[in-house]
Amino acid sequence: MKTDRSKEQKFILILTVFACLLFLTGCWGKKEVEDLAPLLGIGFDVGEKPGTFLITQQFARPKKDSSTGSEIEDRTFSIEASSSREAFEKLSKVTYRTPFMGSLKVIIFSEDVAKAGGFNNMLDFAQRYAEFRRSMYLVLAKGKAQDILNLKLRSGLIPAMAIKSNIEGGDEISIFPTVRLGHYLTILGTKSTAPILPVVESVKSGEDMEYKADAKNEAGEIRIQSAGVMRGDNLADFLTDEETKGYMWLENDVIHRLINTVDLEENSVKFGGQVLESRTKYKVKTNNEKKELQYQIKTSIAIDEILGLKKQLSGPEWVELVKEAEKDFAKVIEKECESSIKKQRELGLDFLGIGRHIEQKNSAYWKTIKDQWEEEIADFSVSIEVKVTIHHSGMSSSSATNLVGEGQD
Amino acid sequence: MERISSHQFMVLGAAVLMGTTFLPIASMVTGVASRDGWMSVLPGFAVGIPYSLMVISLLEQYPQKNLLQISEILLGKWICKIIGIVYILITGYFGGLLLGQVGDIYQSSIMPLTPIGMFYLGGILLVFCLIRSGIEVFARFSEIIFPLIVIALVLNMGLSMPRIEQGEFLPILSEGIKPIIWGGLKVAPFAMEYILFIAGILTFLPTGKRELAQLKRGVWQAVFWVGFLNTLVVLIQILIFGPGETVSLVYGLLVLGKMVEISRTFAGVESLFLGAWFGALVIKVSAFFFTVNWGLETVFNLKGLKWNLGVGVVFMGIAFKFKRGPVLVMEIGFVDNYLILPFASVWILTLWGISRWKKVAGIS
Amino acid sequence: MRSWLKMIKELTIRPKGERKVRKSPSYSIDEDLKKPLSGQTVKEILSKSSDIVFREFFLQGKERIPCLLIVVDGLVDKNLLDEFVLKPLMVELVGHPELAKATLSNVIDITIQSLLPGVEIKKISEMKDAVSSILSGDSVIFFGDSSEAIVIGARGWAHRGVNEPIAESIVKGPHEGFAETLRINTSLLRRKIKHPSLRIISLKLGDMSNTDLVVTYIEKIASPDIVSEVLKRLAKIKMDSVIDVGYIEEMIEDNPYSPFPQIAYTERPDVLAGKLLEGKVGIIVDGTPIVLVVPAILTQFLNVNEDYYQRAMTAILSRFVRYVGAFVAVVAPSVYIAVTTFHQEIIPTDLLMSISAGRQGVPFPALLEAITMTVVLEILQEAGLRLPKPIGQTIGIVGALIIGDAAVNAGLVSPLMVIIIGLTAVASYAIPYYDLSLAVRLIRFPLMILAGILGFFGVAVGLYAIMIHLLGLRSFGVPYTSPIAPLRIRALLQDTFVRAPWWALKSRPQLMDVEEPRPNGKG
Repeated sequence: MKTDRSKEQKFILILTVFACLLFLTGCWGKKEVEDLAPLLGIGFDVGEKPGTFLITQQFARPKKDSSTGSEIEDRTFSIEASSSREAFEKLSKVTYRTPFMGSLKVIIFSEDVAKAGGFNNMLDFAQRYAEFRRSMYLVLAKGKAQDILNLKLRSGLIPAMAIKSNIEGGDEISIFPTVRLGHYLTILGTKSTAPILPVVESVKSGEDMEYKADAKNEAGEIRIQSAGVMRGDNLADFLTDEETKGYMWLENDVIHRLINTVDLEENSVKFGGQVLESRTKYKVKTNNEKKELQYQIKTSIAIDEILGLKKQLSGPEWVELVKEAEKDFAKVIEKECESSIKKQRELGLDFLGIGRHIEQKNSAYWKTIKDQWEEEIADFSVSIEVKVTIHHSGMSSSSATNLVGEGQD
Repeated sequence: MERISSHQFMVLGAAVLMGTTFLPIASMVTGVASRDGWMSVLPGFAVGIPYSLMVISLLEQYPQKNLLQISEILLGKWICKIIGIVYILITGYFGGLLLGQVGDIYQSSIMPLTPIGMFYLGGILLVFCLIRSGIEVFARFSEIIFPLIVIALVLNMGLSMPRIEQGEFLPILSEGIKPIIWGGLKVAPFAMEYILFIAGILTFLPTGKRELAQLKRGVWQAVFWVGFLNTLVVLIQILIFGPGETVSLVYGLLVLGKMVEISRTFAGVESLFLGAWFGALVIKVSAFFFTVNWGLETVFNLKGLKWNLGVGVVFMGIAFKFKRGPVLVMEIGFVDNYLILPFASVWILTLWGISRWKKVAGIS
Repeated sequence: MRSWLKMIKELTIRPKGERKVRKSPSYSIDEDLKKPLSGQTVKEILSKSSDIVFREFFLQGKERIPCLLIVVDGLVDKNLLDEFVLKPLMVELVGHPELAKATLSNVIDITIQSLLPGVEIKKISEMKDAVSSILSGDSVIFFGDSSEAIVIGARGWAHRGVNEPIAESIVKGPHEGFAETLRINTSLLRRKIKHPSLRIISLKLGDMSNTDLVVTYIEKIASPDIVSEVLKRLAKIKMDSVIDVGYIEEMIEDNPYSPFPQIAYTERPDVLAGKLLEGKVGIIVDGTPIVLVVPAILTQFLNVNEDYYQRAMTAILSRFVRYVGAFVAVVAPSVYIAVTTFHQEIIPTDLLMSISAGRQGVPFPALLEAITMTVVLEILQEAGLRLPKPIGQTIGIVGALIIGDAAVNAGLVSPLMVIIIGLTAVASYAIPYYDLSLAVRLIRFPLMILAGILGFFGVAVGLYAIMIHLLGLRSFGVPYTSPIAPLRIRALLQDTFVRAPWWALKSRPQLMDVEEPRPNGKG
């Protein structure tokens, strides 16, 4: 029975070892959720010293609130550093919590950083470190990124979260491109296409819209509008709103759009409506020895608003009007697209990805022009064909009109 | 004597063949064949079919014997011993490297601060349990895990669909057919790993006439399914990342897992997927553990708990030696291309050739 | 490590019958039973027991024959004995031509053949039989010093009737349940299956208790291998007493070191009949309403017979709910720990904020919090289990108010933790078999600890280890995880996670395709 005893001892020993293992597990990457500081946004500005960035980090600070459960406050720091890791190191001296990158929503580059270039280096951290995910959004900021992140918004949202929800709501208006980190890297990988980033800016009261701001002369709202075209990681130029809209059409990125023909001069009757669906196709055509890329945009629109209608229309007249509306909308879309193409030619940058379209449709031809593509962009011929279908014209077949002659000069 | 059914052979084979090929495969084939990489997956795996059929035809002639025993009959004792030693060394080394991959995958993707040894330990413990429970339990384990892996793969791919970039699919075959062949060659070693496993499992297979036909069908099915799934994996990565990024991501599928968003709320379910990938790795490491055991048993007649523990320690040792991620990936590629591929292809072709020749000679 | 493993191995692989059991202490009783049969000896053996009645009388045949009737008071139907045994023999039949022929040597045959009516009457000649018959409630009549005796079955004692079983309640379906009496139980079974191939084999177990039990199965449906394996294992049991089936269960199961039940049980005749028709074997033991059913497979513990009484579509839903419940009961606390301490990225940002806010000021790490709360839950369950009903309700109030609400308000635990624990508790009640839910409660703890050390990796290791353990289990030669692995596609699709409608269940379940049973269990 001697062996039994030694077995027993060994068993107890093993149990003790296991118990020790259990209770001495130390950190091993374990962090309690309340010890984390969830990072929501990062902003990059140019630092004072050359080669450094002013890195602004926006953290959420959950607060216990007995009545509503929880409340989020922001905690934003700006630190000058030459790498993201360095910034986090400096930051750790201040915060008592571990920064948690998994919740990062947006990375903001200020105009100056974008113009100075070199921010792809900053992105490397975000694509390499395991906690980040590639679905975060990239935006350019008009002005300083720090200012945007430090805004006190009237909605009470943290600026980073506000930008995120703005971008995610972007499908409904389709007037700025949605760029996630993954998408940006993929575009960089194509080599021929120039990346494009949406632009975020603060809106003060009195610029485009008026509201009652909490503090005088301080912006309380944020908006995303238009985009910036990059040459590599250098900002080449900002696009105007119209050019961005054109880009959206040409890139088949329009999901829903609000659209109107108010700016068309020749017609007296103006339409407003919304795009229900849209699809852009690409074709490489040969036009007497020269290749040409043709965009075929097919879209269906519902008319929501008719302006300047002078009289009640009869049935056939109504059909005519709808046909006219189709033509008008097509014109607006064409105009937007053309402005975009014009910009592309001016810049000599293929942000529309025409090169990739050619490669997809006719890779043999692409190989012959690939190397001098930069020069080709300026005069590569592009044509646009827009086909608009009016789906319906709303609940009414007539408009509220004045009696003939009355109220009109 | 333990036995596994022909259906279990099919699933087990598929699970071993699949292993964790879906993690590095996209980067490998895209590196060679660029945008057309996905087309080279299926042909690459198909290389395994003729070899498996050869092995099964050998089984038909020498039932209940594994390939090493067959080598002894056909090539003599000493050559067999040499082959056996090479077989043990290669499979043992490779098994250890795969165990290292468990740590690498977990540490680099979700748990960077946990000591890597814990991952090895967790992996080897499960492998050890499987080894001690025998081939039947192992076959059943794969019967449960393989569907899980398939479901996880399909979910992972399906959920990342919204991230597909426009127009990354075309053009097809812009570089001609040659890169696809080279890509296929990159995939072929995966099939050869499978062959090495089959070489050992032969003793447990049924040898009735009907079962043999089922085994052959099992090989076809396994290769087809695994090839098909891996094709999809490569394709979806190319569609989402574009060829350039696909090459540069070490484990693209893990990144894909990170990008999954379920109705814009649940993100980052990769840690759940990793559970399934871990199961796949356990199966693969166990498979090589088994081959080492069979090799030891056949060549040196060594078996039992003591030797199992020994092999386990060797596996851990190899894993600890390759703690550095990039080195590990390089080493796995090296063993695949320059050890497993030539060894398996030469060995089996020779055996089959000799047995054919003997048969013909015997008749005439 | 090695020796430890070896030890475990030795413990597990020791053959069933040789497991050490308390030896029968009084050898002399058995000695007595070897004596030749006679009324006086029996009287001596059974003396000093006030419940045993010795009724002496004379039978007037050709000669005056002294008779001795021995019965156990309370186990016999006295009316029956008086009316149909004593009265005829002593009064009514006096002068009967057959009786007149009786002498000491032929009185037994004459009595059995012509004098006593009644179905259960037989002759015995062994002391052992006589004593056990008396103690089982039969009446034995000795004639003079003859070495033979008559056994009259006129049992009758106070017993519980056929009631609805408490532990296995059911909404739709038969409401009768087994009772403690073996014969009642077999009769209940017989009423469900009126077919000659229903076999009911009697055995006796327990040196002291002499418990009756029957092994029942349906010839030609049950695999003969399993039946013989059951009988073999039962024959190997050597125990003093068998008070409940639990004694037997542990002695015949394949792997006694597994937390998972490898033998199913039921209190309902309809369930037993259903299982027998699937090819299983039942073991009914006298003195308990619980009937063992072997072999058992894992999924069977999550399926209940009511599934077959409901419509197929609703049955599928309730099965699905049960499987999900079982899974949640196993993993919910460990997933909580893994998610909040390792994999915060999986939590949607808004939820992350509210969890984080909820845990502000909670002094314990999540692992400790979860373990404490789970232990509290276990204590509550255990405490509530055996309390008389009126006090039982207090436990609920104390549990809900004090431990739940007050603890949250005091900042000892986070609100989410309480939700998780509540969810776990409710989910584990969705497991229909108590034995399985006990196993689930047991494996929850190691999983939580693994989650606390290694996050999801730990949970994966734990779950895979459990899976390997399950895959290695067998119940009487049937793999525990069939029909999932090894795959039996028909059984899987028809009657595992889903239940096909009755018209589609044309063939008998396939799960019985038995691999060679292994006497030592552990395959």
